[in-house]
Amino acid sequence: MARFLARRFVSMLFVLFSISVLSFLIFFATPGVDPAARIAGKNADQATLQAVRHDFGLDRPLPVRYGLMMKKLFISRDLTSYVNRGAKVIPQVTQAAPVTLSLVFGAAVIWVLASIAMGMLAGVFRGRPIDTLVMIVGLVGISMPVFWLGEVVNLITQSRLHGSVFSWVPPLGYIPFSRSPFGWFKSLILPWLTLSILYIGIYARVLRSAIVEAQEEDYVRTARAKGLTERRVLFRHALRTSLIGFVSLFGLDFGALVGGGALLTEVVFGLHGVGKLTYDSLQNLDLPVILATVIYAAFFVVVANAVVDLIYAWLDPRVRRV
Amino acid sequence: MRNGKALGAVLLVALVAIVVTGAAGARTTDHRGGTLKLLAKAAGGTLDPQINYTLEYWQLYQASYDGLLAFTKAGGNAAFTTVPDLASGYTIRNGGKQWVFTLRKGIKFSNGQPLTVKDVVASFQRIFKVKSPTSGSFYSGIVGASKCLKTPATCTLAGGVIGNAKKNTVTINLTAPDPEFKYKLAVPHASIVPASSPPTDAGTKPLPTTGPYYYASYDPNKQLVMKRNPYFHEWSHAAQPAGYPDEITQSYGLTVESQITAIENGQADWTLEAPPADRLNELGTKYAPQTHVETLTAFWYAPMNVNIPPFSNLKARQAVNYAIDRNALVKIFGGPKLAVPSCQVLPPGFPGNKPYCPYTKNPGTHWSAPDVAKAKKLVAESGQKGAKVVVISPDDEVQKAVGVYLASVLNEIGFKAKSKTISGNIAFTYAQNTKNKVQINVQQWYQDYPAASDFLNVLFGCDSFHPGSDSSINMAGFCNKPIDRQMHQALKLEETSFPKANALWAKIDHEVTDQAPMATLFTPRHIDFVSKRVGNFVFSKQFYWLVDQSWVQ
Repeated sequence: MARFLARRFVSMLFVLFSISVLSFLIFFATPGVDPAARIAGKNADQATLQAVRHDFGLDRPLPVRYGLMMKKLFISRDLTSYVNRGAKVIPQVTQAAPVTLSLVFGAAVIWVLASIAMGMLAGVFRGRPIDTLVMIVGLVGISMPVFWLGEVVNLITQSRLHGSVFSWVPPLGYIPFSRSPFGWFKSLILPWLTLSILYIGIYARVLRSAIVEAQEEDYVRTARAKGLTERRVLFRHALRTSLIGFVSLFGLDFGALVGGGALLTEVVFGLHGVGKLTYDSLQNLDLPVILATVIYAAFFVVVANAVVDLIYAWLDPRVRRV
Repeated sequence: MRNGKALGAVLLVALVAIVVTGAAGARTTDHRGGTLKLLAKAAGGTLDPQINYTLEYWQLYQASYDGLLAFTKAGGNAAFTTVPDLASGYTIRNGGKQWVFTLRKGIKFSNGQPLTVKDVVASFQRIFKVKSPTSGSFYSGIVGASKCLKTPATCTLAGGVIGNAKKNTVTINLTAPDPEFKYKLAVPHASIVPASSPPTDAGTKPLPTTGPYYYASYDPNKQLVMKRNPYFHEWSHAAQPAGYPDEITQSYGLTVESQITAIENGQADWTLEAPPADRLNELGTKYAPQTHVETLTAFWYAPMNVNIPPFSNLKARQAVNYAIDRNALVKIFGGPKLAVPSCQVLPPGFPGNKPYCPYTKNPGTHWSAPDVAKAKKLVAESGQKGAKVVVISPDDEVQKAVGVYLASVLNEIGFKAKSKTISGNIAFTYAQNTKNKVQINVQQWYQDYPAASDFLNVLFGCDSFHPGSDSSINMAGFCNKPIDRQMHQALKLEETSFPKANALWAKIDHEVTDQAPMATLFTPRHIDFVSKRVGNFVFSKQFYWLVDQSWVQ
């Protein structure tokens, strides 16, 4: 176990280092991206431009610039934005994280429960009309891009029906749980549903095919032969092994979403999460924030992968023995 | 009897007048209070008034920071005149080279500290210490400025800005007379901040203010909060009037669409952003009383690089000017209510503007229709037919469409053109650097202060062209020696007579237009969409809507 964790840790460091170097190089390879002129301001004097370039260390060689930036990000922890000068990067990420976590956790609960219900329903009633119906509903969910769906939800709840059915919907934005738990719930319920619809569709389909497959397996036949009830066969045997694919998929998606993958949902609903921060920093070509959010996202993806491996071992006894 | 009746009527009128004025007075004070909620897509960067160069915050600085002088806080063209603000008055001596200001007494910063001569001197030094974007342009004429530009950290402006605490005066010495100096003192970069302010960019930590509001908090990812400055008293209504709302907030992060919806719902009061084209109809019909359209002193133009082919050829540049259908561009921008076709540099109503349009069917004062035949003929004569051209435009919807349109026009008259869009955040600096070999691009220029030089000298003067630099605002690389000489003459002429100088600027404007280092596209108008509860909308042509002069209750 210790070896497993150590190996994971080293590979994580390597991934994070590579990603940060890559983002850094891509940034400076982009023509016209030199932040000095943007920082110095419209029509700045050449002397001012040089002074600003020097202040930000932009006149140093690339490796030194990279080293300085990493030092500021991890050691002195005072890296500031190129665009909103003086705004420290790390507090921006730590303040954005709870918003993203609230959004992604809520959506994950909804999509896991709904997709298990739908997947099992379709798997058990395979070939019947209910199977077809559930799968069509799932497909519709997958086909709707989240930014479009979000805008339509906003159009209905904030504009067209805001005066009547949806008058309870608060203005777009995030309400912290500590300020008002009910307000937090109200501000997030629509983003939760919007974000989860895509995943419900995908996960229900994945689970359905896994259950269909599992029901043909020897161990299910054995369980039936032992005289177990259909319900017990389904929940204890078929569903458990069917969840392996489901869980690995979930781990990756969840990690990516917590790391900022819920970007479009956050932008559409005005939630100041990590995704929104990434989006804004990309729009503004704000390298310090881009680096911080990219490293943050990579961290979660790598951690989620490791957690998935652990859960695998718990779910599938065959993995443990290897 | 008749007299008696008349007396009665007079008494009645007087009584009504008293009641009405009394009620009006009561009503004005009744409007004090509440929170004005402003929206913007993103924050405007540093909050330091001596560094920030965005209209987003210059608009808010109107209600918070003060300089020695200020633009009059009033609607329309009145905003183009300066009035003494923190100074009670000033005299100009030594042939325009010495400006002596007397400070007002009893003004305090929002942290309770009294404003002194020391703060004024320190603030001028700070312009250089923090490397303000305009330190090398607006304020380079102050004695000692060149030394400060070289070594900002040790800037003293010795002999340039001298305070006299006893007499409560500040003397500013210039190396040469500068009639536009009064404007330069009224823009936010010359704001007076406490002498104890850090000699570096204050960034997100607000500096104390002198105006009616101070900045209580600033998080560029969430919100900016302005609250009433408890130490403020109205010393000059024209320079710095007291405001109505108790609090003004600006929240960041919603998409433009959502912002408009939020204002319609009364969840917010105003957006900084221009409403998207598909919402204009709705605003113009259903929400007409809440929509304010104002003319701007600005222009949209397409600078053409005069140093590389094909636009190194005058005829090729003129051909582009003849071929552009300005009405089509006006439509792209939102229609004739939101833009007016134009051919020249100085916008209508601006000092030095004399209507002129050579690039139209029936040349004269105004543009009427494109002359494509003439354009094609000019391209053939220029020998540049078939030349490859890339039109660079920022990636927002409108500018992208303008870029695509320009490419189609260029193709029509014989060039091989395509449009290329790049991120709006780097387009401005990208287009300036000669290393990027930009031939033609989509740009706009909004005035800093109401003087013709702010357009002509800044955008087309030889001094504004710096090959190989990201900061070279003369994007056309246009440096015409005779025209440049005239610009310097006009600047000199301003010392003695603004009307004479403006007549010369008008001539220069026409000559630059003839040389066509750019194709002027149109003069934009500005839409402010406010919520139902916002009253007393006053639009200053200088820095736009005076937010604190509107009430919300």
